[in-house]
Amino acid sequence: MMQPNLIPVFDPTPLPAPYWVFKLLLIVTFFLHILAMNFMLGGAVLALASKWRSRKREDGNRVFFEIAKKLPIFLPATITLGIAPLLFVQVLYGQFFYTSSILMAWPWFLVLVLLTVAYYGFYYVSFHSRKHPGRAGWVMLFSVILVCVIGFVYSNNLTLSQVPSRWGAKYFANPSGWHLNLSEPTLIPRFLHFFTAAVAVGGLLLVFVALANWKRDHEYGRQLLQFGGKAFMYATMAQLLVGVWFLVSLPREMIMLFTGASPFATALLLVAVFSASGAIFMMSDALRKENIRVAAYYVPGLIALVILTMCVMRDILRDAYLKPYYHPERFVVQTQWSVLPLFLVLFIGGVVLWFVMLKRYGLFRSAKAAEIPASVGPQPAK
Amino acid sequence: MNYPVWNVAFGAGLLIAVVAILHVFVSHFAVGGGLFLVLTERKARRNQDSALLDWLKSHTKFFVLVTVVFGVVSGVGIWFTIGLISPMATSNLIHAYVWGWAIEWIFFFVEITAALLYLYGWEKLAPALHEWYGWIYFIAAFASMVIINGILSFMLTSGTWVQNHQFWSGFFNPTYFPSLLFRFAIALALAGVYALITASVQKDAALKARIVRWSALWIVPSLAVLPGLGWWYIHQIPAETWASVHGPMPTGTFFATFAVVLLAVMLVLTLLTLVRPARMHLTFSLLVALVALGAMGSFEFVREAIRKPFVIGNYLYANSLYVTQIPGDGGFSIDEVNAAGVLKSAKWINHRELTPSNQIAIGAEIFRVECQSCHTVNSYRGLKYYIALRQWDQNKIQAMIGDLQFMHNGVMPPFAGTDPERAALAAFLSSIEPVSPDRPPVTDGRIVFQQNCAMCHVGVTRALLINGLPHDPNAEREALKDLPGLFPLMPNLKLTDQERRALVQWVNSQRSAEKTGTAKQGGN
Repeated sequence: MMQPNLIPVFDPTPLPAPYWVFKLLLIVTFFLHILAMNFMLGGAVLALASKWRSRKREDGNRVFFEIAKKLPIFLPATITLGIAPLLFVQVLYGQFFYTSSILMAWPWFLVLVLLTVAYYGFYYVSFHSRKHPGRAGWVMLFSVILVCVIGFVYSNNLTLSQVPSRWGAKYFANPSGWHLNLSEPTLIPRFLHFFTAAVAVGGLLLVFVALANWKRDHEYGRQLLQFGGKAFMYATMAQLLVGVWFLVSLPREMIMLFTGASPFATALLLVAVFSASGAIFMMSDALRKENIRVAAYYVPGLIALVILTMCVMRDILRDAYLKPYYHPERFVVQTQWSVLPLFLVLFIGGVVLWFVMLKRYGLFRSAKAAEIPASVGPQPAK
Repeated sequence: MNYPVWNVAFGAGLLIAVVAILHVFVSHFAVGGGLFLVLTERKARRNQDSALLDWLKSHTKFFVLVTVVFGVVSGVGIWFTIGLISPMATSNLIHAYVWGWAIEWIFFFVEITAALLYLYGWEKLAPALHEWYGWIYFIAAFASMVIINGILSFMLTSGTWVQNHQFWSGFFNPTYFPSLLFRFAIALALAGVYALITASVQKDAALKARIVRWSALWIVPSLAVLPGLGWWYIHQIPAETWASVHGPMPTGTFFATFAVVLLAVMLVLTLLTLVRPARMHLTFSLLVALVALGAMGSFEFVREAIRKPFVIGNYLYANSLYVTQIPGDGGFSIDEVNAAGVLKSAKWINHRELTPSNQIAIGAEIFRVECQSCHTVNSYRGLKYYIALRQWDQNKIQAMIGDLQFMHNGVMPPFAGTDPERAALAAFLSSIEPVSPDRPPVTDGRIVFQQNCAMCHVGVTRALLINGLPHDPNAEREALKDLPGLFPLMPNLKLTDQERRALVQWVNSQRSAEKTGTAKQGGN
């Protein structure tokens, strides 16, 4: 058929660094983006849950206030960290990404409008949650829904970018950019996979907040640990089911890929599943013993590993979908040596400066102070 | 042709203009406003002006809400929009300048972090440390402008990059420095403009007066240096790039004039705030901002207008065809499409065989892949309007399409495709605005000139038309029968006897008027 001919040709400007450099940057920056997104979305969902669960009780509202204050940090972090993978995905997959974006141009463009509204919503909540707690709750719910819609549009676009065989019929039926990818069998489980992960990581965010309060206000810290820890556990258990749904909704050859055909992909999946299951048990144990150290360090460490393997698997999956059409080995590479070292120097300098900024602000001090568990006893006076 | 064309009924160009103008209006504020914050903080602390300091805290909040929220999202918005509307250009730019953008991203990351810490640090940090965050913010914001300006100005004046494809050749292109300083001056002025807004709602009259005077000190000197910088900027732009500003469809001239007028209005309004600074009203400050937005938007329109027909100077046309053949271009250069035809070259068209029955449908597809990046049928830059204005029938359209690149001082790329494809495009265009063959004949030579000649004959070539034709009216009428015979690049227009007679009459009247020095431009 003519469908493979629809795939745009890669442009003649050579890749300014080897393929693997961009691949690495794409995966690493996507990983960071998704972490920030998880904190933002999961945190907001759990703040709402806590608010509505405890209706008039003070502690529920306190969690809500605490998270509400952080959302105007997590959302720009999500956006800023999202720009990098957006850049690198265009470097490597522009042919597919631009095309699917154009097919769903209006929903894709509306992401910007929704994002702006959601963002101002979060700011409203952070500034006014104490004065108008009721209204703030509704505004936050509205913003969370908008963020979910944005996520759903993303799932549509990125799944559509992987199936060029579907493009022609959509475009020629109507070129005004109103297509989603609703017939995609993996769409819903894929979206839910991201959403559930966000809730689980949101639980870990509450555990971090518990850690920060562990000494200052132990009772509150305990409640947060229980709530956050349980949210993490239940969401991760649900995730195992959603993950299975996602896996079986994939085309047969992709399922095979993760179930033996590719040893690497299979190993990654096993590591992820076992680590996630292990994290559930660790958290359950930590909650019983109220061991904040395990809950706030080991479990998140393990989950970071899970998320990283997931990001790699996501990439393997994309390349498997695109295998018939995508030929990175044919890319012409002309490394821009006149600018690459400058990037690296500035990157390292930027990261150092970033940490210095946070350190001078005192963000690490409070974390350090809270690090020592209450059982160790009071610090000797200076 | 390589990518599908998003069919935006009201015009894709308009959409990108709206996103871009709103973004630059905020992003320039993000740069100038950063310096404003930190210098105002210093000033307030030196003078122990706690009222000014309190205002600055609320102004910081406003600053973050405008720049970190809207500025950031609309910046991503430009990415989204150019990818949707001009994916070929975006892809080429990404591959040539991804490291530039990656560097900008580092600055951007530092910038956003510093902005938030500066905002949240008002109550928490020692003054010196707080100012330190302000400086980091400003330096990072300025640095991100230093980077993005290289890529933006590269699109206008690609310099020697087209020959050597070296990162820095394109980056430090002829308009790099004037553009950077021009934009920085705008950024400083905008810092004052936005400060007027938050100043206007202050109840403390003395404080309000202090802020208004301080803001004017940012606006007035910046506006004063803009003409000089603008002059420098314009003189770095090659004459042929600037040429399309002149002529019968001078989008660039119009917006350039408009920008100058608005800047003057802005200056006057700012000076007016100084008459009674303590009583400046919110409405007035918003008016200043609106005028500034208009000026900024006009400036961007000028830049866009003079960049045409290219989207990347001398490399890629606005309709995503390469100027010359390049290895690996996928057959999307003008010459290759001319040779192979649109129907064989384009990926995103539905019809592959031209038959008498599908001529209009094919013409519509050719319109979509070749024209729609700038034109619509009957909305923004709508061709229906132009055809009605000039009363072109199908034959005339077909002839004229062959000379697009000469029209309006070269603002359009040439048509690419075979002759039958050109005929199909003409059939489609004529179907959207059919011109009746029984229409009353045009007897006014000036109108004949406007409808048939003025689009190409501007300036020197207009003089050539007036003076180059034989001076004997009969020979003149005869010569106009075969335009390509007169000059091979002319379209093969078949003017009626009546039209030729009228045109000759008008040409002669122009000749005698030129002698007496009373000639008027015939263009509309």
